[in-house]
Amino acid sequence: VNLVPVTYKGGVYRHDEIMDLIEDLGGYIIQKHVLAQEVVLQALVPKEDIDLIATIAKPLTGEIIPSPLVGTEIAVVTMSLEIHHLPHASCDVAEYIRRNGAKTNMVGLARGFGKRIAQLNDEERDVINEHDLAVFLLGDFETCIQQKFPVLRRGITVPIVICGGPDKETLQRIIDPPVEGYVGGIGRFMHRTKESEELEKLDEVVTEITRVLDGQREEIAKDPPSVSPARLMDVINEQVDEIHEVLSPTPITVQMTGLRVKLPYDTYARILKNLAIEGGVTVGEIADIVPSRMRDYILIRIKPFSETNIMV
Amino acid sequence: MDAVEYFEVECPEKAGGEYYQRIADVVLLDHNLIRVIRKLHIFIDPRIPLFIATGVTRKLPGIVHIRDFADVSVQEQKVILSIGDEAYLAPLLKILWEKYGKERVEQPDRFTIVIRIEGAELKEIEDVPVYDPTESLYKDLIYALQVIQPEGFKVRRQYYGKEKFYLVASENTLPENIEEIVREKFALMGESL
Repeated sequence: VNLVPVTYKGGVYRHDEIMDLIEDLGGYIIQKHVLAQEVVLQALVPKEDIDLIATIAKPLTGEIIPSPLVGTEIAVVTMSLEIHHLPHASCDVAEYIRRNGAKTNMVGLARGFGKRIAQLNDEERDVINEHDLAVFLLGDFETCIQQKFPVLRRGITVPIVICGGPDKETLQRIIDPPVEGYVGGIGRFMHRTKESEELEKLDEVVTEITRVLDGQREEIAKDPPSVSPARLMDVINEQVDEIHEVLSPTPITVQMTGLRVKLPYDTYARILKNLAIEGGVTVGEIADIVPSRMRDYILIRIKPFSETNIMV
Repeated sequence: MDAVEYFEVECPEKAGGEYYQRIADVVLLDHNLIRVIRKLHIFIDPRIPLFIATGVTRKLPGIVHIRDFADVSVQEQKVILSIGDEAYLAPLLKILWEKYGKERVEQPDRFTIVIRIEGAELKEIEDVPVYDPTESLYKDLIYALQVIQPEGFKVRRQYYGKEKFYLVASENTLPENIEEIVREKFALMGESL
């Protein structure tokens, strides 16, 4: 089945029926927020059943919106966590992407500021590389971006989308070798983004990220992971009880080809490795289970079909 | 920034300069400093790199003396101060303790201070300076300029006084002729340091 990422918004009343429906159709619920009387579900659902869900949700005044960033984890890299960059623009961008369904983590560099003195340490590099995509929020001057960006991108293997003050063409000119995405006109600013043209800029960031991730998805589709990450999440949710005691908003974060499980590595890595998915296939056979550099979490990297010759 | 007589951002990169114009505007507004500033010239050159902010303030409120916020009555054995504005009480007490000793300064209630001294002059007590608002204002101003400047510029030099102020910042050692450059920037506003 072809699963597509969507967001469902509706009332609390009878929302469990929608959840059951999505699960019965073979979809997965990635995250559920209950905000007072409102429920927001981020889910992957079969493409051909979207109309059916919309029809059933209509009497409940629920709506279903395609949101291409659901099921991805994105690093928003800000040059520092000082007042110069927080809360605007870093939080504005991170929050806006989050509203579009992605799980965002903000990575505040210890020494990202400055032109000559900017640095990226190994921990920052590894944390960024654990994500599906990194959004770099740079400053207003092209001279600085040109000089510091080669240092900041060193060792980064995930796709990069750059946001900076100069226009898009300038960014494309000064960045060599090219990165996957560019958004110009969104550098350092100190006011809240609330005017329509500023919101359009944020929309542009989302569009650019979506474009880059769609390209990634196409690549992945050529050699798909041995199990869908959302399905593996379900397996862990069913078989590992302790995951329900984790207080994070997403105890299991779904990525495009993996999962971040927020349980201590030392205790749970072995348990996860031996989990049976289906027909005697265990998680250990189709995925690498490695310690994450974020706290003591576990990172599951699902191997592609070409490596395992198993598809469950 | 309409209330400011002169406000310019000078920058070799046009787009960058425009962004910094907005940043300076927002920061000064957020820190409630717009009405304090009369002229402001900001120079940024990311190539050197160098950041210079020079400015002139409006006429600032003067030093607060005891007579401005308290009634003094001198008696034979003691002096009684009736406080009108509590805002300056803490610095006042500190000064009195230092001058007369804690054992002589009593505070029977929030608005009264009794100093047990003999033969004090009314004028002498009334004219004690308590608080200089310009000091904290200039500090706020310099802090705001540090928020405006690009973050990586860690080498700084600042000056304030006589209604003028400047902040120079860079990533590298400041050029030797920096004072000269600052004077030039003041000259652009029609002022001299």
